[in-house]
Amino acid sequence: MSDRPRSAAELVQDRPESGVFRVHRDVFRDPAVFQLEMERIFEGTWVFVGLESQVAKPNEFFTTFIGRQPVLVTRDSEGVIHAFLNSCRHRGAVVCPFRKGRTKFHVCRYHGWAYDSAGRNTLVTDEAEGQYPESFVQEDHGLLPVARFGNYRGLLFASLSPDVPSLEEHLGEARAMLDLVLDQSSTGWEFVPGPVNYTFDANWKLQLENGLDFYHFGSTHSSYVDVLAKRAKASPPGVTPPPEVDAEAQGSFSFENGHSMMWSIRNPPRGLRPLAFDTARLAEVRQRVGEAKAKWMLRQRNLTIFPNLQIIDIVSLQLRTWRPLGPDRTEMMSHCMAPIGEEAEARRLRIRQYEDFFNPTGLATSDDNVMYEYCQSGYAADTDGWTQGYARGLGGGNGGPSLAAEIGVRPAAEAVGSLAFGDETCFHASYREWRRLVARGEMQAAAE
Amino acid sequence: MTDVTAAAVCADLLYREGLYLDRQDWDSWLALYAEDAVFWVPAWLDEHRPTSDPDREISLIYHPSRVGLEERIMRIRTRKSVTALPLPRTVHMVTNILPMAVTDGGIEVTSSWMVHEFDPRVSRAHMYVGRYEHTLRREPDGAWRIARKKVLLTNDMIPTALDFYSV
Repeated sequence: MSDRPRSAAELVQDRPESGVFRVHRDVFRDPAVFQLEMERIFEGTWVFVGLESQVAKPNEFFTTFIGRQPVLVTRDSEGVIHAFLNSCRHRGAVVCPFRKGRTKFHVCRYHGWAYDSAGRNTLVTDEAEGQYPESFVQEDHGLLPVARFGNYRGLLFASLSPDVPSLEEHLGEARAMLDLVLDQSSTGWEFVPGPVNYTFDANWKLQLENGLDFYHFGSTHSSYVDVLAKRAKASPPGVTPPPEVDAEAQGSFSFENGHSMMWSIRNPPRGLRPLAFDTARLAEVRQRVGEAKAKWMLRQRNLTIFPNLQIIDIVSLQLRTWRPLGPDRTEMMSHCMAPIGEEAEARRLRIRQYEDFFNPTGLATSDDNVMYEYCQSGYAADTDGWTQGYARGLGGGNGGPSLAAEIGVRPAAEAVGSLAFGDETCFHASYREWRRLVARGEMQAAAE
Repeated sequence: MTDVTAAAVCADLLYREGLYLDRQDWDSWLALYAEDAVFWVPAWLDEHRPTSDPDREISLIYHPSRVGLEERIMRIRTRKSVTALPLPRTVHMVTNILPMAVTDGGIEVTSSWMVHEFDPRVSRAHMYVGRYEHTLRREPDGAWRIARKKVLLTNDMIPTALDFYSV
């Protein structure tokens, strides 16, 4: 089409004064846009790589990806955590082909070059006989570390670009939303063993949006809602969650640097979360964090940390992250998060409710995945490149009292409405950051 | 019971289960299960080890009774789930059926399976393979029913969505 946008600035239109926020379909389908996203977002800013507790002991490791690049995360024998590009300095082969494990040395299986768990090269096979030039001997042969590596309360982030603010600055005020999750345990967090991996043939941003999308729940998940209703009738829960003290509402808090959180307040709360079930833990948490924060901990909160982390705190606690494989293909990594040392019955409830909702073999996420694929196929329709999916909430006033204030948080924007609101302004923060990062690259490219 | 009789009981029930799933004859399929039947598809801890404790580890599917299966069928029948509109077409193949422990009232049987699936939604074929472990029980009415089914699914990168009828 002749009026197809040419630049990142044009692909995301953000004119709040005229009530316009639009995202062009090319953002989801154009291979050239995907290439820019990999370079400037996934390989250009902070991305989530894993939990510190995945490398709890010295010499433990796991492998992952940052954008397209293979990464090895290790805890060295001194206890320091590192993230390296998982590629042998010799010929580039993946050094560690395993998902996770524990070893003092990583030996490349091609020519036998070896590295310790701190990434130092410990062996260039037959170096003395290799007739190497002096320059080679002078070179460092250790695994290449990522440009920046950070740890926020056990959540590990890395950036392949050195040109990023500190992790604290990148997370900004959204840290308080992470704290609302992390403060639910005074004993640390772990992944329940058994990661679940799946793919869908659609763009990664469909997942990013869906994780913030309250609007779809009643329609996409109506079969699940029917199942819940049947269960409630057949066997009413023995333990009921504490009642809500505030009026029912739905809304979002948006933050700088692409992060945002969708929330809902229901009375009675939907389902029984492990924190409400484990009354001893809840009492301890209440006492430690105060009434206001405890109240928010018991509400639905879907948090997105741009660009690749979502923590969904509903009847279980899901941490999901993703690796874009192409404009129309995404690999998902899903984990059930839990307090270390959780009481057995609460843990069982957490696991059952996680599987029920979040598994691609469960009763809800499976519907989402199929819908992403219908969106991706639908994006081929090209008469109008602009969808109308970013407008709910754009006409609302921001004049009401801040709900975030009572927990001492100052979001960049807040949206509040009824349970039928289905706010879509919560997507905007991510697209603003998307545009900033992609456009920044465009300006650099133009200058070069 | 002789081993030959046990093998015949197992083959009949396992073949029948595959057939009912492929015909999408959900009621007949459910009737093969005891009311307290456990249905379990473990996840994987790493490259080699499936999860082994459903109360401490994640499963892809875990139902401690037949109610969980009934709910999944109800979800299909609501015609509200996009995973089931349209449903994939499946063909189950069950082989290497080997009764491992046989008593008059129960049989532990292992087998291998393959499911070819065609998803008309995207015109794409998938293949899933794995092993089954069934516990069969002779119920008071004389019928053999499934008291427990464990499905070891070798594929642990799930394409989009997967339900009980694909394994």
